[in-house]
Amino acid sequence: MGVFGIFYSKNIISVFVSYQFIIISAVINFLCFSQFIYQRSLQGGIFIIFGIASIYFLMFCTIYYIYLKLDSLDKEMLCREFRLFKITRSDWWGEDNI
Amino acid sequence: MDFIACINEKIYPLQSIIALSGTIFISSFFVISKSKAIKKFLIILASISFILAFYLNIYSFISMGDFSNFLTLFETVQMIEVSIILFSALNLLFFISIYKVDSNHFIRILILFLFSTVCAVFVVVARNFLLIFTSLTIFILAIFQLVTALNLKANKVRSYILEYFLRPTLTVILFFFGFSLFYGASDFKDFGQVLQLEYISNPLIVLGLIIFGIAIYLYFFLFPFQGPYMKLIRRGEFSSNAIIWFLYFPVGIFIFMKLDNLYSFFIEKNSIYMSIFFIVITFICIFSSSIGAFKTKSIRRIISFLFLFFISIFILNISMFSTGIISKSLVDWFNIANVLLILFSFIPICSIFSIVEKDTGSDSINNIRGVGRRNIYIGINLVIIFLSWSGFAYHIEPFINYFSGSNLLKMRAGNIILLIAVVIAFLFLMVNIFRIIVQFFRKPIGGVVEKIIFPRFFYIYITFFTLVIIVIAILGLLEVLNIDIGIINFKITQVYF
Repeated sequence: MGVFGIFYSKNIISVFVSYQFIIISAVINFLCFSQFIYQRSLQGGIFIIFGIASIYFLMFCTIYYIYLKLDSLDKEMLCREFRLFKITRSDWWGEDNI
Repeated sequence: MDFIACINEKIYPLQSIIALSGTIFISSFFVISKSKAIKKFLIILASISFILAFYLNIYSFISMGDFSNFLTLFETVQMIEVSIILFSALNLLFFISIYKVDSNHFIRILILFLFSTVCAVFVVVARNFLLIFTSLTIFILAIFQLVTALNLKANKVRSYILEYFLRPTLTVILFFFGFSLFYGASDFKDFGQVLQLEYISNPLIVLGLIIFGIAIYLYFFLFPFQGPYMKLIRRGEFSSNAIIWFLYFPVGIFIFMKLDNLYSFFIEKNSIYMSIFFIVITFICIFSSSIGAFKTKSIRRIISFLFLFFISIFILNISMFSTGIISKSLVDWFNIANVLLILFSFIPICSIFSIVEKDTGSDSINNIRGVGRRNIYIGINLVIIFLSWSGFAYHIEPFINYFSGSNLLKMRAGNIILLIAVVIAFLFLMVNIFRIIVQFFRKPIGGVVEKIIFPRFFYIYITFFTLVIIVIAILGLLEVLNIDIGIINFKITQVYF
């Protein structure tokens, strides 16, 4: 679902929700394996705390820092026409006019 | 002295990090200062700390040897990788100092840069999943903030920085997912331990490896994901581009080399399908980057595509290994040699073109027409640096050994296809090199071109790189021709770790 969402959605918020799907699935993996297979939740738990905290910190900084200083036109583009993996001619060759 | 030796032993192998942290601590007292004298003092201090870290890294390894514990692993490969990062960081300090010394935020930028270098060193020495993951996340965050800080004046770049750094964020998330699968399948938190697992062909481990592969592919912006990278490089300041080229990419390569052993284990087991897959990926990456460089007229894009070309060489090495042409130890050596080749050639090339672009005002290839005629010394240096890429031809030698050792019936189609790929890649590389060299020495359209005044220090800087390249080229040639002059006691074309 996460990977599908990343490719399909046109809104940056949807892309981030898709990112969260992948994170949540990883968290479920950690919790399940440490709790039910290895009968101790400590290692998985520590990893989750570090992992989640750092990923959210990274995502928050990446978006918030830039988003605050964007023009209103660019902000609207992020909410309507944003695609993480665009496959247009200009995106393949990097050819675009400044 | 005993006290110092005792401390040195306790902090091993993190001496380089301690040296850099000391500079961060001292710099933090001058964050709001705008004085030029303090800026110069901090640049000198940072340079000394880099040189000290570089020296300590090699010296302590020679005196104390390998080190490993629960979190870190420090062997010959790690020592070389940390040295490469510190060397490239020292050069990046030069770039940042030239372009950003007048900025009000210079000292903050310097602290961020030192911090990102510390994170990069942590990524290299980490062996535990927890430390690899945390240091990689903080490293990407530091690089993101550094690139943003270096582009503060360019308003139009912001959305492109956002687009660029969402990819490494996805890489980090995929790493998190991959670690969860590895942890579930093995209860180990170390790639080395996973390799010794009894049930290593477990589907969870295979899936984890596929996810790691995708994550690293996304990290490198290889075909067809190169769009955001190209757009950012085209618009960004030269100092921020240098950060991406010489700090962001090498760290990705070193993460890739951490996974090398696991991949090679699976490649040895399932040779045919894996070989086909890697040959196809190699073909696509090499051709797209070569044609991209040939197609565009912007020098920044040409350099960016050529950079992707050299990143693709890592996949080529893996596919050569998968078809049985080179051994695992030779793959490691080819990878390290490729990183060194990238650094020693791209750093001077970027510095030359940054000054040419600053002088002429545009990065079009037509602008450099005739520049080499008026600046003959720089022109000759540039030619030598470009021609150093012809060392890529050394990739053909293992094929010659392979084909001469086996009869015609035993040759596999995959090997022949791979040889064709290498030859065509080499031809494309040569075409791209000569395109720039010819343009550099061509007669200018409007008659005479004014001489570009390069700073005096710049001549020494470029000459250093050229001399290193010439020395390596001579030693390499002597070895290829089997002439022993007895200067060094190891073969530079065959170093085993």
